[in-house]
Amino acid sequence: MLDIDRIRKLVDMMVTNDLVELSLRDGDVEVNLRRPTAVAEVMPVVNGAPTMIQSVPDAAAVLAPEGSVGTEDLKLTAIHSPMVGSFYAAADPESAPFIHVGSRVNIDTVVCIVEAMKVFNEIKAEMSGTIEEILVKNGEAVEYGQPLFSVRCD
Amino acid sequence: MGETLSWFSVRTADPAFDCQPMFRRILIANRGEIALRILRACRELNVEAVCVFSEEDRRAEYLKLADRAVCIGTRAPKDSYLKTDRIIAAAEVTGADAIHPGYGFLAENAAFAEKCRACNIEFIGPSATAMRLLGDKSSARALAKKAKVPTIPGSDGVLEGDDNEILATAAKIGYPLMIKAAAGGGGRGMRIVQDKTDLLSTIKQAEQEAEGAFQSSALYIEKYIDRPRHVEVQIMADAHGHVVHLGERDCTLQRRYQKLVEESPSHSIDSRTRRDLCAAATKLARAAEYTTAGTVEFLVDSKGKFYFIEVNTRIQVEHPVTEMISGIDIIKAQIHAAAGEPLEFTQRTFKSTGHALECRINAEDPDTGFRPCAGLIEKFRPPGGLGVRLETHVHEGYRISPCYDSLIAKLIVHQASRPDAIRCMQRCLDEFSIEPIKTTIPFLRKVIGHPDFLTASIDTGFVERTF
Repeated sequence: MLDIDRIRKLVDMMVTNDLVELSLRDGDVEVNLRRPTAVAEVMPVVNGAPTMIQSVPDAAAVLAPEGSVGTEDLKLTAIHSPMVGSFYAAADPESAPFIHVGSRVNIDTVVCIVEAMKVFNEIKAEMSGTIEEILVKNGEAVEYGQPLFSVRCD
Repeated sequence: MGETLSWFSVRTADPAFDCQPMFRRILIANRGEIALRILRACRELNVEAVCVFSEEDRRAEYLKLADRAVCIGTRAPKDSYLKTDRIIAAAEVTGADAIHPGYGFLAENAAFAEKCRACNIEFIGPSATAMRLLGDKSSARALAKKAKVPTIPGSDGVLEGDDNEILATAAKIGYPLMIKAAAGGGGRGMRIVQDKTDLLSTIKQAEQEAEGAFQSSALYIEKYIDRPRHVEVQIMADAHGHVVHLGERDCTLQRRYQKLVEESPSHSIDSRTRRDLCAAATKLARAAEYTTAGTVEFLVDSKGKFYFIEVNTRIQVEHPVTEMISGIDIIKAQIHAAAGEPLEFTQRTFKSTGHALECRINAEDPDTGFRPCAGLIEKFRPPGGLGVRLETHVHEGYRISPCYDSLIAKLIVHQASRPDAIRCMQRCLDEFSIEPIKTTIPFLRKVIGHPDFLTASIDTGFVERTF
């Protein structure tokens, strides 16, 4: 079961060891912790009984820039842009947006388009959860790593 | 030799002159000192500047001088500064109408230049055609021969044929000879063969190395010039057929083919050789229909004979040396030329004044084989004084990354004479303090104090032999 004391200890351990991201699975309980920091290293953790899973930032789940995610919101993360381009919320001007606040997404859900050089790239969520907030405007220029949506993970 | 050109420079959007107006916004597809250099030129030209950066460079101070800054990826160059699509996308979303590639990275990537122009974004550099023609050492050599520019005796083009044919080609050239990778550069992919017994085995090795390093096993061979001097010529050309040389730079002081010190004018050549060398460079640039800035490199042997080696179809690290003796801002001139404007100067109005010297300062430890050093710069005390110029993006509190090349600063001095310039440089290197990072400052101080350097009696092998 979720034990706040234990989670506090994990957070302390993360701070002491300057870890950025930690995923812990114990039975049917999974905890994902992420600290806002510009450091891109994920250091290996060697520890006791529970199985530690080391999470590596990938294209869509890149490190959040400072200030966007707090350690209090343990399950709140973001979908980041894997490319540079213009953000579009829908497939075309006539269509409805792919998602909205409250939408459920899973790994393959197309959440938006980022267009560059006339090529419209579908961006997938690559995570499971619920859209908490849409962080960019339709047509806005986005850079690599820019947070597009905040997501409450399952 | 030389042309008498008379026109007047028009810097208005005069339709009668048929040149497009200056760029509104330039994206700088580079980092570090050259990004800052280009940024400064843009600001003085009243052109907006967009910088791109990797996550590693997010905190770089020079980004604050840009009008916009766009993150294009993670730290490794292949994931950021070499990502052509992201760079062009960044130009699109920021409304940049031109991209300056700086040096290194995508600066000599013809496919990138083409892609930019296909997206209606000007690439500040020559045409992709000229870049390909001059970028491949074999075709550049063939063009040089056609333009009657002296070349090093060698296999005309890529080395071909069976073992016997190769031995015959080598015999005609004469030993010692040099094996070079056709797709190589920056001094990499080169091997010396003293006589025919080693030739075939060395060729096999060189083919393997070239395949690994440059994805092409193509080689060519040429006569090895013993104890050469490296002298290069700065070229500037516009899209109206004007090609001007801005004199030569002597870059003989090298370590493992990496330049340490550059100067202008060269004291290794007499005035006749200077005249012929510069004329040859101009002729070659014209033959390639070259535009914007470029550098033609030569080796000069002990008898003063010069031989063409290669053309660098981009701005070079050591361009400030030429700026000091000519008074011409080469980056601005390059941007103007790329915007379709005619050159502001002519061969006649170009004058070389005084002597300029540049030291490249690298974050490397000379005492442990020039191992690159990364980390925080805690103390940074640069030199100053009359005729002293420093080009650097680093400062106190700057963290040198291990991900990029180790050049952290260029120290340039300009004085009335060579001895004055050397004395000034020695004084500056004595003053220059960077801590705790190990740099090549103490090593440079030793090298430029050496009597052979003072008498300009060095060759490209001097550093390795002596230190």
